[in-house]
Amino acid sequence: MTLSAQVLAVLRREAAVERAGRELLTTALPLAAAFVVLAGLAFGPEPQALERTAGGTVWLAVLVATLPVARAVLSAELTEDTWDVLRALTGPGALFAGKLLGVWAALLTVWALTSGLVVVLFDVRPPLVAVGAGVLGTLALASLTTAVGVLVATGSRRRGLLPALVLPAGLPALLAGAQLSTPGVVALPWAVLLVAYAAVLLAACWTVFPALLEE
Amino acid sequence: MSMAPPPRRIDAALSATAGLTSLAALVVALAVAPPDALQGQAQRLMYVHVPAAWLAYACFAVVLVSSVAYLLRRDLRWDRRAQAAGELGVGMTALAIVLGSLWGRPVWGTWWVWDPRLVTTVVLLLVYAGYLSVRGLGDDREAGARRAAAVGILGFVNVPVVHFSVVWWRTLHQPATVLSPDPSPMDGRMALALGLAVVAFSLGGWLVVRRRAQVLAGHDVTVPPTELTPGPAVVVRAGEHR
Repeated sequence: MTLSAQVLAVLRREAAVERAGRELLTTALPLAAAFVVLAGLAFGPEPQALERTAGGTVWLAVLVATLPVARAVLSAELTEDTWDVLRALTGPGALFAGKLLGVWAALLTVWALTSGLVVVLFDVRPPLVAVGAGVLGTLALASLTTAVGVLVATGSRRRGLLPALVLPAGLPALLAGAQLSTPGVVALPWAVLLVAYAAVLLAACWTVFPALLEE
Repeated sequence: MSMAPPPRRIDAALSATAGLTSLAALVVALAVAPPDALQGQAQRLMYVHVPAAWLAYACFAVVLVSSVAYLLRRDLRWDRRAQAAGELGVGMTALAIVLGSLWGRPVWGTWWVWDPRLVTTVVLLLVYAGYLSVRGLGDDREAGARRAAAVGILGFVNVPVVHFSVVWWRTLHQPATVLSPDPSPMDGRMALALGLAVVAFSLGGWLVVRRRAQVLAGHDVTVPPTELTPGPAVVVRAGEHR
């Protein structure tokens, strides 16, 4: 079985797990939506304040939504006791890539929902570069979420460590994403930061992932 | 036959050098270097604040290198070095934040500002506090070392962000003076005091990491069953119940 076929198989499994459990639909999306609505209430109602905080609200919501998504990375495998079988049937690279694509799709959905809500409720028009930031920033966070999700889930204690590991490490995506989503901000330095962060994090997660799968 | 000096001699030499350099730094910083023209005596906190921040960065670099080395070689000595450096790095980051706050009060007029350098440094502290906590995720020593190595590598991604935050954002925090490509406007005596303090902190940090790694090695030692000392024999006489 080729690498791409393995990746596709893992991704299909992720999709099937989501269809069966509706984990994203019932946890991450409502959390992100509630976050945006409450942030608007807390920061508003002045239009200037909402415009200033819109980008940060979107990315803070995405970052917070990584927590339920990270908890779900291995929950199905651990519940069904299929983690060992999955590890035996697929290589670490394919497993990481398949899980990563599933998490990326989930975070992209969260980003799209929160961005849409911000456009409608905050009445702001994010710059076009915000779309690129959404794609790259969620990719970076997805790699972090996948690696840390597996790391914490395979431990036997201190599962509550997840937020302490994911939230601070997601800081560059939060900062660059928020700046790139704010109208009038010079985009280039933040785009460079986001590209570098995504590339380095993706490479680092890919490299350390096999060590997390060992017995 | 190894010609390397014994560890105790290295520790003694490090202790002596670090002590002497600290003494020299103390004298130059307090008695030779002039007070800052604008900030006055409060600026002397720089001679501890900057070396603490420098040592924290250095420790996190050691965590990165040791974590990579552990994953490549699976030798627990690298894991112990990483843990020792991580603990010192967390302590030095906390020290740099507290001293920065003490320095900021007379200079900026407030204990805390939402400045990118300050916020990203606190985030760095949280990242490495998480790194130290990861070891408690399970009971398996090797698995704990692998998890810690992974977080040690991923956590380092934030270090450049913290360092360059002063350059990227408009900030209240002073930009880099010594490491700046422009010629340093610092008085020579101030630069000497700062240089000595950085060397003293570096040597002291090296010593602390070495000693802590030795202590951690003691925790990792397991006594083989054949070397276990038998406990005292229990003699039960007829008619006695124990």
